[in-house]
Amino acid sequence: MTTPEEEVDVLVIGSGAGGAPLTSTLVQAGRQVLVMEKGPLLRTQYQAPDGVSDFKRDETFATGSEKRITVPGVANQGESFYSSHVEPDLNDEPHVYSDQGVDRVTIEGYTAQVVGGGTQLYGGVSLRFTPDDFRLRSFNEGRTDLRDDPGGEVIREARDWPYGYDDLEPWYVMAEELVGLNGTREGQAKPTSREVYQPPLDPNPISAFAAAGMDALGMKRYRTPLAVITQDHAPSGRKVPADRDTIKTAFVNRYGDPLGLKSNTWVSLLSPLVGKPNFELRANCVVTHLESDGARVTRAHYRDPLGRARTVRAKTVVVACSAIESVRLLQLSGRQSPDFASRANASGLLGAYFLTHCFGGAQCVVPDRADKSKTLDSDWATDHCATAEFVRANGLWAGGAIYNNTSDGALPISLARTWHAMDMDNMWKGYLGDLSMMGDGFEAYLDMNFGRRLSVAFMANQVPQRDNRIELHPTVVDKWGRPSAYIRKDWHSHDQALMNTLADQCRQILEKGGAMQDISHGSVGGSVVRIANHVLGGARFGTDPKDSVLDPDNRVWGFDNLYVTDGSFMPTSGGANPTLTIQANSFRVGELLKAR
Amino acid sequence: VAVSLVDKDDQYVLNHCTRFLARDSTDARHDFGQYPPGDPRAAICEAWRFPIVDSHYDGRSVEDSYPYNDVTFVHDGRGRDVRSVAVVGSFGDLYAPLPLRPVRFLGEETGLRALTVRIRKGQVHAYVFVVDGRRELDPINPQRTKADDGREWSRFFTENCQVPLELSRRERELLTRLVTHLLPFRLEENSRLIRNVYDQLDAAARRDQFPLAYKLDEEVGVVNYIDKVLARQEQHNADDYHACLGLIDGLLRARNGGLDPLLLSPDVFEDLYREMASDNVPGWDRSRYGSPQFFLVLLRRHAMTGAFVHPKAGGNSGAAGWSYLETRYTDDQGQTLFDWRRAIEAPLGHNTDYRG
Repeated sequence: MTTPEEEVDVLVIGSGAGGAPLTSTLVQAGRQVLVMEKGPLLRTQYQAPDGVSDFKRDETFATGSEKRITVPGVANQGESFYSSHVEPDLNDEPHVYSDQGVDRVTIEGYTAQVVGGGTQLYGGVSLRFTPDDFRLRSFNEGRTDLRDDPGGEVIREARDWPYGYDDLEPWYVMAEELVGLNGTREGQAKPTSREVYQPPLDPNPISAFAAAGMDALGMKRYRTPLAVITQDHAPSGRKVPADRDTIKTAFVNRYGDPLGLKSNTWVSLLSPLVGKPNFELRANCVVTHLESDGARVTRAHYRDPLGRARTVRAKTVVVACSAIESVRLLQLSGRQSPDFASRANASGLLGAYFLTHCFGGAQCVVPDRADKSKTLDSDWATDHCATAEFVRANGLWAGGAIYNNTSDGALPISLARTWHAMDMDNMWKGYLGDLSMMGDGFEAYLDMNFGRRLSVAFMANQVPQRDNRIELHPTVVDKWGRPSAYIRKDWHSHDQALMNTLADQCRQILEKGGAMQDISHGSVGGSVVRIANHVLGGARFGTDPKDSVLDPDNRVWGFDNLYVTDGSFMPTSGGANPTLTIQANSFRVGELLKAR
Repeated sequence: VAVSLVDKDDQYVLNHCTRFLARDSTDARHDFGQYPPGDPRAAICEAWRFPIVDSHYDGRSVEDSYPYNDVTFVHDGRGRDVRSVAVVGSFGDLYAPLPLRPVRFLGEETGLRALTVRIRKGQVHAYVFVVDGRRELDPINPQRTKADDGREWSRFFTENCQVPLELSRRERELLTRLVTHLLPFRLEENSRLIRNVYDQLDAAARRDQFPLAYKLDEEVGVVNYIDKVLARQEQHNADDYHACLGLIDGLLRARNGGLDPLLLSPDVFEDLYREMASDNVPGWDRSRYGSPQFFLVLLRRHAMTGAFVHPKAGGNSGAAGWSYLETRYTDDQGQTLFDWRRAIEAPLGHNTDYRG
């Protein structure tokens, strides 16, 4: 006698910003949902049976001990790397990117493999996109003033989203309320229909310099919306400590929160569903490929926590593994079946138009030292460079948000390992290579920098380019023998112009902010690998099946029951950190699926 | 010896195993030089994480819980017909093996068995599994040790461990001289501060945080941290230390008319540091170790980490590195500008919401 094959109503693959919101909606509506998550279920203190969290306030959790790249055939074989305890091991699950014809393994562009996904480790910056971010084709129609766009690609490749800001707005409100944010609204270029922010905590004193600079330049500023609760949060049942000021800790960005105050999708959306008979979360299970019969996806093949191959049948399948891994899962499924491949990729655009963000900023040393260990990830933000006036006046196609960082380099080891190391592939290299730092030189370095470094960052739209794409690597495989993701990308000349403009705005904020020293500014324009860990596009949605991979409901054209809801759906990357928009859109899709 | 067992659910065990153990690949992708050729552990990711050493909480008091760790032994019997697995070790009665329980997923046995034992911090223990009555080394854990009986045992150590494991006494003494040059603590007023940290601890804190009454000195536990890192997560860097410390010992002795390098003035080590930084050390035998600068960079990373890491890792003894920053940086009113105690668990720090 054989056990009948398991069958579920809705299978959601991935428990982060793309998967959790719609899961919450569907489970509350009585639908039966199984969430499959590759990573572990790391619990907070109040969830763990013995009262100890799997997350720690320990700098070696964010950046671990030395390992070396052993992946055969890549140019950086033998180099050291240091990953967080929930980031994938680069030798087990490499991502390869192409850099001027040379293949390298990179740690950039991973999100955390854990229940809650990237929202477990992120800084929590939860900005909305502006209304214009959703209509960049219309916004730029007929313009002839765009800088550094000799071939006209920017106008040609700009896309409107299938819906506008007003359509997504109610879902933004729902995400802000149910996830649990703090911040202020006054001064934002993003109107709201309802106020749901919890009040922010007092800013870190070092942020006063950024605020002064924004004021001097006439930039309206607001307290950065952050996914951290500052009051008891009724929707998720979370409680804040008696001394609310202790919520501020530099163990925030790149750390999971042992107290569950950071509003990751596990504590805010999924944990409240535990115990409901129509909800199951299966952690430590990786889906290897999907199987289809005509226009219906019928079955997911997965490996259980010990690697045993299993299958589950589902009536509806939602893929939300973060852009690179979702595209890869569809491509790997296509390898198993030509019919799946032709349905998932009828437009030939699966993997194409991969997007990250135009990203950069400025940093300096401020005159007065602050205790940066009492902080959240950011205090002040401005939409000054996201307004239509600014964008047009500067010959740009789109704008971006600017906010100050407060938790960077706040702890002694993180200050050293990120010293002159602008991305995670170069962790430690700047400090270790600066051999003057010893004895007195070491003290001089601490005196100059500890508690005194202030940075201001921008996050802006990247021009979509078809050649920026995710493929399967021809030779490199992961620990299951499956081809690894292969990332091909470069910047457009207009991206460079945009980044130079916004980096200069950040520089001016610091310059006007006080008696600063050692001001520097720059962007990721010089590097093809840096992607701020915002991986977007590759399966964009649209109204034309020939120009998109997903329909306006995030359903794969060519399938009746397959949806993709992580950042891969975005046709443009937006002028802000993407998580809140992914969450809002996932709530929107959840509502659509309720009726299907 | 009374052994205190701790309940951990299957979810906990799987959470700490899947990422490292589940795979099809048998490629040696996790061998950075620490394994002999053909060692099956080279296919396991971060095999050093086993057994799992974690914080302990008794559900009542962080103070009472603080001196202990939870140590979870995991036996991987997948693909074998295993009837019973027990663990026996120096943390308990050597004649009373403790049975591991099967770990289940969806109600089915996974092939893993696990057991969690409460063990004091600061300790080193030898253990083996007893599989269907037969003695078996832990096939995952890379740490092994030879006992007095000449037999090989698997080994682990708990947090705040001050017992030397990898480096010889001579190596540790030489390393102390080297690392004090990388760190700010040898400067007179800092050195006094570090001594005060220890002097100001009350008796209970000394007992809890310095189980072996380890003497605080200018290197604030950095040498001990390096010893622990080389014994566990960075075993692949141990040979670098053995080779380079041997080379340094020999060449300083040769340069100084046979005088013991430990008796030389700090200036000698400062000069050596500069030579290593320029990757040009007269008398360095490059056939034994290619680049003195490469070793210096490795040492710098370990020294920086060891000075400011959470004390459970064996460095930053008594949080002396953090206390140095706490004392050095204050505002006009004398309030510290590095209030680390506020975020860190009591009784090491002041936070009673977070339990470590």
